Amino acid sequence: MSEVLTGAQILCRELVAAGVDVIFGYPGGAIMPFYHALPEYPGLRHVLVRHEQAAAHAADGYARASGRVGVCVATSGPGATNLVTGLATAHMDSSPVLAITGQVGRPMIGRDAFQETDVIGLTLPITKYNHLVQDISELAAIVREAVAIARDGRPGPVLIDVPKDVQNQKAAYTPPEGKAAAPAPVPPLAQGVDEAARLIAEAERPLLMIGHGVILSGAYAEVRALAEKTGIPVITTLLGISAFPESHPLHLGMPGMHGEVHVNRAIQHADLIVGIGLRFDDRVTGNLAAFAPRAKIVHVELDRAEVGKNVPVAVGIVGDARQITQRLVEAVRPRTCEAWVAEIRGFVRPRAEAFSGDLSPEAILASIYEATGGSCTIVTDVGQHQMWVAKHYPYQRPNTHITSGGLGTMGFAVPAAMGVHLARPGELVWAISGDGGFQMNMAEIATMVQEGLSVKMAIFNNGYLGMVRQWQQFFHEKRYSCTPIWSPDYVKLAEAYGIAGWRVENRGQLDDVVRRANATPGPALVEFVIAQEANVYPMIPPGGSLSEPIEAQPAATPAR
Amino acid sequence: MQASHAVSVLLDDDLLAFNRAIGVVRRRNLPVQGITVGPSGQAGVLRLAFFMQADDANAMRLLRQLEKAHGVHSVTVTPVSSPSLTHPSEAVL
Repeated sequence: MSEVLTGAQILCRELVAAGVDVIFGYPGGAIMPFYHALPEYPGLRHVLVRHEQAAAHAADGYARASGRVGVCVATSGPGATNLVTGLATAHMDSSPVLAITGQVGRPMIGRDAFQETDVIGLTLPITKYNHLVQDISELAAIVREAVAIARDGRPGPVLIDVPKDVQNQKAAYTPPEGKAAAPAPVPPLAQGVDEAARLIAEAERPLLMIGHGVILSGAYAEVRALAEKTGIPVITTLLGISAFPESHPLHLGMPGMHGEVHVNRAIQHADLIVGIGLRFDDRVTGNLAAFAPRAKIVHVELDRAEVGKNVPVAVGIVGDARQITQRLVEAVRPRTCEAWVAEIRGFVRPRAEAFSGDLSPEAILASIYEATGGSCTIVTDVGQHQMWVAKHYPYQRPNTHITSGGLGTMGFAVPAAMGVHLARPGELVWAISGDGGFQMNMAEIATMVQEGLSVKMAIFNNGYLGMVRQWQQFFHEKRYSCTPIWSPDYVKLAEAYGIAGWRVENRGQLDDVVRRANATPGPALVEFVIAQEANVYPMIPPGGSLSEPIEAQPAATPAR
Repeated sequence: MQASHAVSVLLDDDLLAFNRAIGVVRRRNLPVQGITVGPSGQAGVLRLAFFMQADDANAMRLLRQLEKAHGVHSVTVTPVSSPSLTHPSEAVL
């Protein structure tokens, strides 16, 4: 039965029908009708962020932690443009985010009206789908289509731009029948499973390399079963971390630019790599021409465009990672890889990190792990701390590591952690940032206070934009151009926001402060003062081969 | 430019689908020429066609990415065998 509603009310009704329960947003002129309608729908909790970029990251964090579509809302013009970084982040990491933007009224479009921006044009390359609603009669169908596109297949962000007069317009509305439609069925399994099983049987040095697709499809048990049935050691990419328990004897670690030496050497010696749900990006492969020179590659991937895009494949299998991995489990014969695993153990080198002082990043992460029993979700920013977490935090539970991988967005951790908290309200969430990234979105502490979001924030403060400084040290003649960065007094900052805050300067303070932060209701902030020139080792030079790691501070080399 | 492939894209007859398809090509920075847009013979479906200089692997990557763009119905990439071709549609029609 239909009823007459405004466009704004129809938007809200469709969000409720799609199962949305949280919206991250910021009101403004062109989206005011939506905000006028919002209080009529108490099932839609609105979180008022302090900057629209944070709304997009929070929606992204919510989506990654819940597996549902995350929603962000902004007004036209600057509100919409501020979403762009967050949408690009979600696009690169295949995260289902729905952005709703207000637009100036239709009669004003194209006339450079106040706060008018072509957000459709701006977001075309960083969304799966976007649409300017031209007529209220199409609004409900567009919302349904956008939600389905965001969620189905390889997930990604979508954007709906709604002119203000369409939000105010009234039209007959018929709600969708029953619950929101289930995700569209995945494509039928393609050929290749039997051929992949044959290659696995023949290989002497096989590896499983698993990525974000394993988490997106929930293929944890299937990947584990495949590894255990075949004895093949498992490598987890940055976004694949937490898809396989790191305490498992077959887990090797992370590959690529900051991967462990034994992991990269295993890749270079492997004769078969079975890649599941990853895209073999340049941070994983290094110099493509020298990547895995002895290996045939089996690539299991939902997105057909990714198969063969970066590395040539012997067998490409297009489809859902969980379904195909299950098929592989059924198709392979039991085997072991004991000699190969022993050979890889021989590649292991002592950790090269030479931290001055006793407050090493490794010790901090061990303390957080011990204090939470490994139960918390870690959300990281981008830079050195991100790599230390990826390398040293021993993830055990699925999907408890969330970071900006593809776009490498500094400022991601704090707002994304807000979304993770709302998706998992009963669980501890730590946002770990460097002093640079933290300062990009630290205004979101106010959001946490106002909304009662219990996020624990860790700042690894070394007084530098550390990863850039490390590159300057290694590749730019140690000229630390514009990388020293001043910080405020974070304890006083916490006090100003009315939250608990601590500064940890030595190992003796560490465990007690971490425990107190965990026990403090609501948000809490801990600054860890670490060595200024701590580096992430090993490191593959940009454009270098995985066989050429830097394992200690090199002599200065010409700028590249 | 010595064209190596002719590309034909059937897509929704609207500006957003057209923009998405062109954006996929532009983003890859491949040399193209002879861009033509016109009716496909099917109601509501447009044909976008152009010549491109790319090796087979890059041509295949472009095809896969174009196929993903919302509003694109189908993509055909054909090696250009005849230097006398003056219009990309001649190679694929």
